[in-house]
Amino acid sequence: MPEGRGSIAIRDVTVRFSGRAGSITAVDRFSVDIGSGQLVAILGPSGCGKSTLLNAIAGFIIPQPGEVRVDGVTIRGPGADRGVVFQQPALFPWKNVYENIALGPRMAGLDRAAVDERTKHFMELVGLAQFARYYPEQLSGGMQQRVGIARALANNPSVLLMDEPFGALDAQTRELMQESLLKIWEENRTTLLFVTHDIEEAVFLADRVVLMSARPGRLIADIPVDLRRPRSAEILVSGEFVRLKKTCRDLIRTESIKAFEEQNRVEAGNP
Amino acid sequence: MLVRMIGYLSFPAFLLLWHLISTSGLVNRALTPAPTDVLEALWSAASSGVLWADIGWSVSRVLVGYCAGAVLGIATGLITARFPLARSVVAPTLQVLRPIPPIAIVPLAIIWFGLNEPEKYFLVAWGVFFVVWIATFMGVQRVNPLLIRAAEMLGVPQGRMLSEVIFPGALPYITVGLRTSVTIAFYSLVAAEVAGAFSGVAYRVNMSHQNMQTGLMIGSLFALGFVSAVTDAAFNAVARRLVFWH
Repeated sequence: MPEGRGSIAIRDVTVRFSGRAGSITAVDRFSVDIGSGQLVAILGPSGCGKSTLLNAIAGFIIPQPGEVRVDGVTIRGPGADRGVVFQQPALFPWKNVYENIALGPRMAGLDRAAVDERTKHFMELVGLAQFARYYPEQLSGGMQQRVGIARALANNPSVLLMDEPFGALDAQTRELMQESLLKIWEENRTTLLFVTHDIEEAVFLADRVVLMSARPGRLIADIPVDLRRPRSAEILVSGEFVRLKKTCRDLIRTESIKAFEEQNRVEAGNP
Repeated sequence: MLVRMIGYLSFPAFLLLWHLISTSGLVNRALTPAPTDVLEALWSAASSGVLWADIGWSVSRVLVGYCAGAVLGIATGLITARFPLARSVVAPTLQVLRPIPPIAIVPLAIIWFGLNEPEKYFLVAWGVFFVVWIATFMGVQRVNPLLIRAAEMLGVPQGRMLSEVIFPGALPYITVGLRTSVTIAFYSLVAAEVAGAFSGVAYRVNMSHQNMQTGLMIGSLFALGFVSAVTDAAFNAVARRLVFWH
């Protein structure tokens, strides 16, 4: 892929929501730089604002104040340069696998042959070429997410954003999907931002683990993961992996306790 | 097993009972004709062509009125749900008109259109329009927001959002509205034909009542019911194929 494509500059991103109980700060002055081609995990306890941060990078939310720049361009809305894989597959139920994946290339104005070639390429990449004519309801959760990944990649985005995409899957499927994702990512090394609350997942996948505090979400640590690629399930028991896990775990635990107690306090206050 | 057998036999048993009561002398046979009298009247109407003409007129009115009401309802629903400005302009007036039963509109329609086919189309369309409009409106609002986000990140421009995502996404709801309004279309048809028509199945019911042709009257009622049932079944078959994912 072209040099330097998909660098993300996150500058003092702040997102506030106003609700019944006043205003809630979901993300607080978050700043981090992500280089082209990096696989970065955003790790934090539930409710810390990591999905909100991802939505701001995707362009579904506009931070106020703060900004996100991708390749130097300030983000003002969603676009085909930033592919998103959501927590739920969000496939179009009236379109089959082929049509779901082909939508992006079609909207980009490619001709029939180019759309076909692209779609077939990514269907094969995620291992679903046999299922081209299947509809989402006929597929398992894991397969649906694979379609979601292919769909986002088919547009040749600068950046791929994934919001806890394997959270709804069972543990075995999740492991296989993680390995699958790495294989797919190795193909063209698109900049990948992966949001998760699962420490093992973050360390297994990423070049860097960016740790987010409990709400309001702030940057608390930026941990490089120097494990060699390509990675397989064997590294899960290696010393370095366990050490990294512990580092993250200790930092996260404090935050998780905070988030848990905050939730108890809120619920006790609203009988 | 026994339950199913009873199910098969219950309608014939009903017919038999009816026949016995009508021919027994317990009731005035002129007022309560036997099934055989009804069949005779229907047969005579069929061979003279009157029955088919009536069915033709009624079906054409339902068809044209329904299509007009449905198309307008879907268009209005899509536009008012998608564009807040359109909604504020159009919806308040429509909400005031919506609760008025289609039957009550009949005299007004006659004054505006006269006693002709457009008047019937209008009446059928009126009832259908409001049901389909609301169903479409709700359908659009209930489209999974994640699908819209997915479309946005795939590069679907706002101008194509309606056709690519919103209309298909709302289709299950729209179809429910379309199905409900088939029934309403027939109610409106009956009101229209009884109030001012010179042909049609409901008209025939009314006419034969005035001429004390009770056999023809009851026969026409069954004909009306039959047409309505066939229409409903045809609609379901189409709807199931159209919204196959639901």
